[in-house]
Amino acid sequence: MKRLFPAAALLLALAACSGGKSEAPKGGKDVSPIVTATFGRDSSDAGERLFGEKCAFCHVGKSTGAMMLGRRLDESQPAELHKRKDLSADYVKQVVRAGMNNMPYFNRIELPDDQLDTIAAYLARNSQ
Amino acid sequence: MATTFPRKLGGGAFEQSLKEFRAIVGDQWVLSGEEDRQSYIDPYALGDGADHDCSAVIAPASTEEVQAVVRAANRHKVPLWPVGRGKNLGYGGASPAEKGNVILDLSRMNRILEVNEQYAHCLLEPGVGFFDLYYHLQEKKIPLWMSVPGNSWGSVIGNALDRGIGYTPYGDHCEQICGLEVVLPDGDIVRTGMGAQDGSRGWQHYKYGYGPGWDQMFFQSNFGIVTKAGLWLQPEPEMTAKIELAFPHFDDAAWAIDILADLRRRDVIQHNIVFGSPVRAASTMSQRADWYEGEGAIPDSVSEEMMKKLGLGWWNAKINLYGHEGIVTAQVALIRKLFEPRLGKRLEFQFWRKGEPLEKSAQGVPTTMGLQCVNWYGGRGGHLSFAPVMPSDGKLALAYAKKIKAYYEEIGQDYYASFTIGRRHINNVSLILYNRDDPAMVARADKLYRHLLAEAAGQGFAEYRGHISYMDAVADTFDYGGHALRRLNDKVKACLDPHNIIAPGRNGIGSAPGAVANTGDAR
Repeated sequence: MKRLFPAAALLLALAACSGGKSEAPKGGKDVSPIVTATFGRDSSDAGERLFGEKCAFCHVGKSTGAMMLGRRLDESQPAELHKRKDLSADYVKQVVRAGMNNMPYFNRIELPDDQLDTIAAYLARNSQ
Repeated sequence: MATTFPRKLGGGAFEQSLKEFRAIVGDQWVLSGEEDRQSYIDPYALGDGADHDCSAVIAPASTEEVQAVVRAANRHKVPLWPVGRGKNLGYGGASPAEKGNVILDLSRMNRILEVNEQYAHCLLEPGVGFFDLYYHLQEKKIPLWMSVPGNSWGSVIGNALDRGIGYTPYGDHCEQICGLEVVLPDGDIVRTGMGAQDGSRGWQHYKYGYGPGWDQMFFQSNFGIVTKAGLWLQPEPEMTAKIELAFPHFDDAAWAIDILADLRRRDVIQHNIVFGSPVRAASTMSQRADWYEGEGAIPDSVSEEMMKKLGLGWWNAKINLYGHEGIVTAQVALIRKLFEPRLGKRLEFQFWRKGEPLEKSAQGVPTTMGLQCVNWYGGRGGHLSFAPVMPSDGKLALAYAKKIKAYYEEIGQDYYASFTIGRRHINNVSLILYNRDDPAMVARADKLYRHLLAEAAGQGFAEYRGHISYMDAVADTFDYGGHALRRLNDKVKACLDPHNIIAPGRNGIGSAPGAVANTGDAR
């Protein structure tokens, strides 16, 4: 085997009770599935709250988006979107509306433009 | 992407209908531009998905708006394809079976209308997602648990109406529905069960009402649009225990399925059990190229390497137990007695008791991790499932698995299988993973699906749920009495929906030439 998604490898090693060796996860190391499912929902920051509602289930903790980004990005960059420091609002909006690889596009009913603006500003906050 | 119109409607007539729809729901909630239509194409489409393109999208916010839209659609002969949240991935997403339908997106109708802690039920609109309901229960500290499917992005009610499943108690989602509110094709509203009484105080308490029970008529069908549904939830148990069992040999399926199915029938195990192959597990944490880059199906030697590295068996089953401490403890002892001598090792369960952190429990937590498998081959991936219903017989399952595995290998597809074990049946899920931008692979996926369909039908088995591209093909396998069921469905459709307005072709209903008199062939 060449490269196993580390977060998932840890999960499996724990679950299988096989005593298997696990690698240290790159992103979302200590994040439980419950935190992934509810991230940001009670935040006072509207951007974080919307990110939690619309995006976190794939981009926080041991999740499919974080796993795929973890493979693509170099080691210095976090795989969880809300920890990134290189995202611009325009880039976020482009990816959300057009999709990227296996990330599906979001339509304007489930995510109206004003909500997307809020999420994009939240994800771009660290790069300003 | 070319402009698409519904059926034979011309551009002018269609524009006139859109004007009326906009007056009902507001300009913002009717989408017809190319980019907006593109955003509703199935992200797992076999190819570009244009063969299931919609002509527009309408997003009502209330039952009254749904009624008004349906009445207008009848006047203009515009077919509507209702979706709860449009995330039925692997079955077509939001895309309609018939190209050019207007998608009726109910995701704005997302109110959790009631959660009753004492009686463990809730009343939901179709736009409520699994994550929404889960957060609501967590935030309000309501000690009720929910069942979640492998892809929890979608609608709680939509999943139940398509007979989706989860893997904890209450996992037969359609069985948890108690009472529907439905807008019929003529715009009338009906409430089923006890809800047929005005002011009923027992709507979510008893499923059957008085006289015929119509609820099942609105599952996997196109006889109406569900705008509210009651759902039973699981009272938080006193204790849970969980373990993953790994069965090392392919032939273990025969004895292991027999034992697990018996435990399921007796409700020792209270949930649908997934019994899955190595690629099923590996595809949620790795990509194919991590293991093998050769042509054709992954060789058994590579699967065995996966098993060794990941601590898997040829078959893998996750078992959860729920209830009072005395019951769970006894169930654990029984499972140890049944499996430890055969597996040759002590089984180490993880226990949770009420009050401890829920992370240790066997609670269903919504997740989208199951979607990771579409990255298996690389590129823009998708998956297609064929899952015939069979008796829960171990020898039969093993023989079937051997035959299907051999065919996967013959055509060069990686074997991905699981048996979902219910009380009286198993679903043999043959998952077909593909890169949707690789035409040869897409063609192979289609060939494999059609082969599986024919193979199952030849043995007396049929699919439980349909992808939009195969709804007619699956319906054709239900052929007793010269397709008597299909004739009945079409008669009901013609009676209730003479203009074939609601989801034409859904599960093969109203798609045959002349099935519904006023529309002819809906395909």
